[in-house]
Amino acid sequence: MKTLAYRLIAVALIGVALSFTTESFLTVANVLNVFRQASLTFLIASGLTLTILTAGLDLSVGANVGLSACLAATVMQSSGSVALGAATGLVFGAGVGIVNGLMVTLLRLPPFIATYGMLWTLNGFTYWFMGGDTIHGFSPGFRALGSGYWLGVPIPIYLMLGFLLAGAVFTRYTTLGHDVYAIGANREAARLSGVPVRSRINLVYVLSGAMAGLAAVVYLARLNSAEADIGEPLTLPAIAAVLIGGTSLFGGVGSLLGTLVGALTLTLVVNGMNLLAVDASWQPLVTGVIVLLAVWIDVVTRQRAEANA
Amino acid sequence: MNMNGNCQTQRSRRSQSSVRFLISACSVCSALIVVSVIASARLYADGEKIAVFTKNQTNPYFQMLRLGADNAAKQMNARVTHYVPTRPDSIPDQMSQIEDVITKRPDAAVFVPVDFKAVAPGLLKMNAAKIPVVNVTDRVEKGDIVTFVGLDDYSVGLATARYLFKKMNGSGAIIILEGVRGVQTSSERLRGFKKALEEFPNVKLLASQPANYQRLAALTVTENLIQRHPNVNGVLAANDSMALGALEAFDGANRKVLAVGINGTKEAMDAIKAGRLLASGDNNGFVQGCVGTMAAIRRLRNLPVPKEVVFPATVIDNTNYKTYDILDSQRVCPKWETVVKP
Repeated sequence: MKTLAYRLIAVALIGVALSFTTESFLTVANVLNVFRQASLTFLIASGLTLTILTAGLDLSVGANVGLSACLAATVMQSSGSVALGAATGLVFGAGVGIVNGLMVTLLRLPPFIATYGMLWTLNGFTYWFMGGDTIHGFSPGFRALGSGYWLGVPIPIYLMLGFLLAGAVFTRYTTLGHDVYAIGANREAARLSGVPVRSRINLVYVLSGAMAGLAAVVYLARLNSAEADIGEPLTLPAIAAVLIGGTSLFGGVGSLLGTLVGALTLTLVVNGMNLLAVDASWQPLVTGVIVLLAVWIDVVTRQRAEANA
Repeated sequence: MNMNGNCQTQRSRRSQSSVRFLISACSVCSALIVVSVIASARLYADGEKIAVFTKNQTNPYFQMLRLGADNAAKQMNARVTHYVPTRPDSIPDQMSQIEDVITKRPDAAVFVPVDFKAVAPGLLKMNAAKIPVVNVTDRVEKGDIVTFVGLDDYSVGLATARYLFKKMNGSGAIIILEGVRGVQTSSERLRGFKKALEEFPNVKLLASQPANYQRLAALTVTENLIQRHPNVNGVLAANDSMALGALEAFDGANRKVLAVGINGTKEAMDAIKAGRLLASGDNNGFVQGCVGTMAAIRRLRNLPVPKEVVFPATVIDNTNYKTYDILDSQRVCPKWETVVKP
């Protein structure tokens, strides 16, 4: 909790610094813009956070978004039904999650390997399926999901807040959520105390896949187009958001609120660079430094806490 | 390929039969194929093997280029094999594919380098293996080529930018969305944009940022830039995906803008038809694939091939898009003589 406070202060400091250097930063329009951009990263990173909390990993989220979006777009356009298309994206995304979960629990593959293999498989299938085409042009009603407003606030922001709330209740106040932390902290201890480890691990991968499927539908609405490479650039920022948010790759420590802070940090960096007319080619470098700093702060504070105890 | 296919149908038809039968069936059908291959080789003196290298499986431009290559090969009775990096635009993937191809010894290669500098050693290797290479789309830095087939990216950038500025009545404020920094197509198109800016002193450039030819990056960058510059009324993008991504950003802000892209993709044609996109600079992947492959075959048949085939810059807008808006399956390669003037 204490390190999360540091992170919030860091985000606030970046915000204050930006508002002093450019007057276009602290406007209602730009703050909503930043939150809307962060919301999509958050949707992907939220399910991923759960897998990392169990000391797992889901490297297939970006590829899953890509294929789910292409399938959803195909169904939406051939059937003319938005609901059917969106359902295809969600179901397929969750389906990928089921396979990931089974590879980890049943075949006992390390999560890194299982989901890395899945990444390639999904990409390969997407390239073949799309054959270099794009599917474009969706109804204005559907596009509003990505670029529309309700009461002056972009719709993806409501989705982000809704899932943040649901996720917070899930992780804090349900047995399922407690089990996720317990498995990440010490899998053997969790098993001995009666936690159904396998089914919980399956659950987090399904949730991660389903969130990727949902994100795919929102991306589709926002981009108004599906092409084979839309998922490609999403995986690494999602992992970065989780790590910057203070969730430990070793499992058991972290929160969805932290992931939101991580997603905001990443978005602020790009937004700030664009507003200050800094060449956006520097963005990966800055992201890298921030990830290293954030994880380093974690390590130091944890060592201090252990020394004090 | 054929042999496997035949054996499989045999197998499925006679799932009960013995392994021995299967083996004999396979040898029979493979013998048949060998005979038919020899027969066809006798019938046609051609059937040259052409290896075609492209950058990725994701960009519609290269898909069109591959279709063009296939179509040309069909017309001229040659055989095309495609080599596409497993990871899009991957330099090591293309390098190892070049090595594979050298061991397979095709008669000629049609080569789109993923990077005009980094893959140049691959061209040198093909030179050493005495495989004639036609260079398409991006001009390789060094090495021997039969000919270069491509677009003058600088002229296309210049023409599309001039078109936009004229539609803006010569005054206003624009943003530029660049492709991948360091990639030749992007830097040349950008140079064209900048040249046009010099010609229109009342058009102000507010920002120029790379969006890596990607729609999502273009959307995000544009959303951010219009926060800082609320008075943008023109967008110059180095490809169509980015122009359309920028348009989504303006839609999301309930604002109108004049946007132009480059490549003349199917999606851009639809957007021009719908009045969303102003124009797109033509970059016909299909014709480049056709002419590149034809040049390779012509070289093998000792027909004349010019030093380079550079297509003139054309801007596609709502007055002329119909000539470009053709279904993929109905496209046919143009005659060599109509494209390459002696």
